[in-house]
Amino acid sequence: MSPISRIWNWRITAGAAVLLIAIALLAVSIGPIPISFSSILRTLCGLNHGLSGEQRTLVLDLRLPRVILAALVGAALSCSGAVYQTVFRNPLADPYLLGAASGAGLGATLAITASHGNVYGLLPIFSFVGGILAVLTSFFISGRFFAEPNTLLLSGIAVGSFATAVQTFIQQRHSDALRPVYSWILGELTAASWQVVSWSAFYILLAISTMVFISKKLDGLMLSDEEAFSLGINPHRLRIIAVLAATLATATAVSASGLIGFVGIVVPHLVRGITHRVTNRSLLTIALVGAAFLVLADLGARTLLSPAELPIGVITAFVGAPFFLFVLRNKRVSYS
Amino acid sequence: MISIKDLTVRYGNREILHDISMDIVDGAWTCLVGPNGAGKTTLLKALLGTCEYAGSITDNNEEVFRNHNRNVAFVPQNPHIPAGMTVAEYVMLGRSKRDGWGNETLVSRTFIADILQQTQLYGMQDQHVSQLSGGETQRALIARALAQEPTLILLDEPTSALDLHHQISVLNDIEILKERGVTVVSTMHDITLAAMYAQYISIIHDGRVTLTGPSEMVIHSPQLRDAFDNRINVFTLESGRPVIVADKAISERGIPQTEA
Repeated sequence: MSPISRIWNWRITAGAAVLLIAIALLAVSIGPIPISFSSILRTLCGLNHGLSGEQRTLVLDLRLPRVILAALVGAALSCSGAVYQTVFRNPLADPYLLGAASGAGLGATLAITASHGNVYGLLPIFSFVGGILAVLTSFFISGRFFAEPNTLLLSGIAVGSFATAVQTFIQQRHSDALRPVYSWILGELTAASWQVVSWSAFYILLAISTMVFISKKLDGLMLSDEEAFSLGINPHRLRIIAVLAATLATATAVSASGLIGFVGIVVPHLVRGITHRVTNRSLLTIALVGAAFLVLADLGARTLLSPAELPIGVITAFVGAPFFLFVLRNKRVSYS
Repeated sequence: MISIKDLTVRYGNREILHDISMDIVDGAWTCLVGPNGAGKTTLLKALLGTCEYAGSITDNNEEVFRNHNRNVAFVPQNPHIPAGMTVAEYVMLGRSKRDGWGNETLVSRTFIADILQQTQLYGMQDQHVSQLSGGETQRALIARALAQEPTLILLDEPTSALDLHHQISVLNDIEILKERGVTVVSTMHDITLAAMYAQYISIIHDGRVTLTGPSEMVIHSPQLRDAFDNRINVFTLESGRPVIVADKAISERGIPQTEA
């Protein structure tokens, strides 16, 4: 009789990190003007014979911030999705569940209709505040501050519907805003700049580190509260920390890139399906795979119909849905 | 020793437990019996420390409410079985408090293999808990409790929904814990089984403990009959084992039986 094997193999996490770096390099080098790997690496490492002046601008000011933003948003959405699925004990939970998306959508619509010209100044702030406010409202109306996950879930749905209704009303009154609002809803990373990258990196990395830090204990929340308590957990406190961190990551991601669907559901289940493990110790891996997934999707969005750009949300669903179904059909994941 | 003094538990305006005082003997198996809704599960949750109460429950002179210093295993009647979680992951959760969350040591992994062997689950460690049969699921829960190496284990109806064969195998697994010096407190509908395994029985009736004592004494007490509206009969087998059965005649007629 041999000891049972480890619950999580950290080599999987290391593999995901390598995958992310490889895909990120690929994404930086591919584009209307191809740039070689070696010169990118030399420049990034500060060596001689790197990129020429023009290439430098292209890589460092345009492609790199966009790739990093895609990675951050992908990591944020998939990590929050996984956390919500654990906290609400619901495999269908996604990061937009508690009204973060609708609240951010309302905020974005307000920003777009209020500022006719300079949209991108106000938009991130408005959608960030809208997303956070919607989630806090869900918390507030669910009563005893998160005593029961299902109550919070339902109030999140109610708040979401309300925000969407208000957003639709405003949209109807300002038909000129329809097109920018619609393109924001489909998600886009075209606004990526070092400024956007730096503030979103701050919040997203803060939120993801918090989630990864508590990830081992999160497994206890898959049990009943009494069992979790007996294993040394304070379930109420842990749930609140988890939801707040996931909401911060989601709101930041949404305000930086609009509503990119499907990542928060497909990536966690993909990782669980392939590794055959539902433990939250996979959270860091889920974040890394999510980052790689969105960088790849964004690469597709800007190259497939080049010079035109596809909305990234279309790519994530178009590629993600069939792949996800393939994994489900292979019975690697079970939700019985 | 666990000592309960003047324990009262309310859910909103409803008083579930009234003024209970009793002691629970260390290293023994105490069984809580009584009709549905008497407050047995609430008493277990109070002993665990997750339910607010008035009065006091002390375990080695420490108040138990929200006390994380103790190592108590809890086996609920209707557990949440996480979708897709394997038996190994599930049982390993029991080590979390000892090893620190997520730090499974080689000692723990060997220990878990040993426990899976004892509970006849070895070889099933990569199966999903949700795909186990009722008896196997219950054994996985007991295995997790064994992994926890607790000082006290609380079990809510550990044998409900199991056939006779599995009832005995689960109860034998619980007995392993008791033999290791763990204090066992369980609720149980089947009073015959309670009398067979538990050293002490407490009768809970309408939120009050009407009698606590050695099983032999409690089984033949008028308080037990009273708790079940005099609708039970206690027989003694030749081996001396008591058997408690519902009194069909009384139930059917719905009136108390009078002596002939």
